[in-house]
Amino acid sequence: MAETLRRVLTRGGAAWSGEENMPAAGPPLLLLGTPGSGKTALLFAAALEAAGEGQGPVLFLTRRPLQSMPRGTGTTLDPMRLQIRFQYPPSTRELFRLLCSAHEAPGPAPSLLLLDGLEEYLAEDPEPQEAAYLIALLLDTAAHFSHRLGPGRDCGLMVALQTQEEAGSGDVLHLALLQRYFPAQCWLQPDAPGPGEHGLRACLEPGGLGPRTEWWVTFRSDGEMMIAPWPTQAGDPSSGKGSSSGGQP
Amino acid sequence: MAVVLPAVVEELLSEMAAAVQESARSTGPRSLKFLFGSSATQALDLVDRQSITLISSPSGRRVYQVLGSSSKTYTCLASCHYCSCPAFAFSVLRKSDSILCKHLLAVYLSQVMRTCQQLSVSDKQLTDILLMEKKQEA
Repeated sequence: MAETLRRVLTRGGAAWSGEENMPAAGPPLLLLGTPGSGKTALLFAAALEAAGEGQGPVLFLTRRPLQSMPRGTGTTLDPMRLQIRFQYPPSTRELFRLLCSAHEAPGPAPSLLLLDGLEEYLAEDPEPQEAAYLIALLLDTAAHFSHRLGPGRDCGLMVALQTQEEAGSGDVLHLALLQRYFPAQCWLQPDAPGPGEHGLRACLEPGGLGPRTEWWVTFRSDGEMMIAPWPTQAGDPSSGKGSSSGGQP
Repeated sequence: MAVVLPAVVEELLSEMAAAVQESARSTGPRSLKFLFGSSATQALDLVDRQSITLISSPSGRRVYQVLGSSSKTYTCLASCHYCSCPAFAFSVLRKSDSILCKHLLAVYLSQVMRTCQQLSVSDKQLTDILLMEKKQEA
């Protein structure tokens, strides 16, 4: 999933080089950020990207129906015509049931599995073993879909978790647990590269498969998401590697 | 999506498998024991006693069940590190010194050695097996 997200973030910027045509979704990705940091929007952009690639349907799980369809990155893709299936498990128990019975579901296997609001499902069950089982089942479900897609094809997995400014001890435990299971993470936080500017800083750690890279995400008044590589400043030691408009290899 | 084990663990598992299959158990258990402690010998015992079952359904989804020493059955996922035993919960999730519990180690050993019981169930039965691991409601 990290690769799909990277393509979203890279493509959202300037023109991208067409050689980025990897079918692989990459390792499971955890998307983290405080409330309002754009996780749902980014999740949805990844859904549009994957569905647009035509690799297979996308399954989007969230507790409540989205208030409005987040706008993508100025693409002309119509979400209604793409194969994005929404399901709304109202409780942790229902989410368990959905994941445990995923192999019974008819129809083609999804090429991407997305879950928004994991923190709400984890909050219901404070037991670490239950939390671990839920997280492990997410991976197991994606692995099963990968198997059904056939050789050379993978089902990506991307999960969004809301963090708080001040983490409670339960949150810290869950985060440690999640980092064990999700090799790739993307942190979203309100930040701006210069004074008087607004937006979010997206920091993608692909989990050992490449360098950390960062982008600047802003939302226009009509809700459209604009993405640009985080501008590197002279002497900024945390700048990502290369911010050419050709995209990351 | 395969389970990703540290390279050193994979190597050791292969050496173990070779050693056990040649019935030369002198070198294998020692090196495993160094990494995993007493879980290693216990895991070997589980493999010996044919305690590991690979359960699969027509959908292709699979899960492992291990008959533990106390006659309790534990569920291990096939695609990532998870075991329903209390040792996994305690030592792997809370502390981080143990890499694997003995049941997961036994599962990986049986994969490398290609020896375990096989059981076919219906898709519905597999769902129930997976669901059962959710703490009992009733």
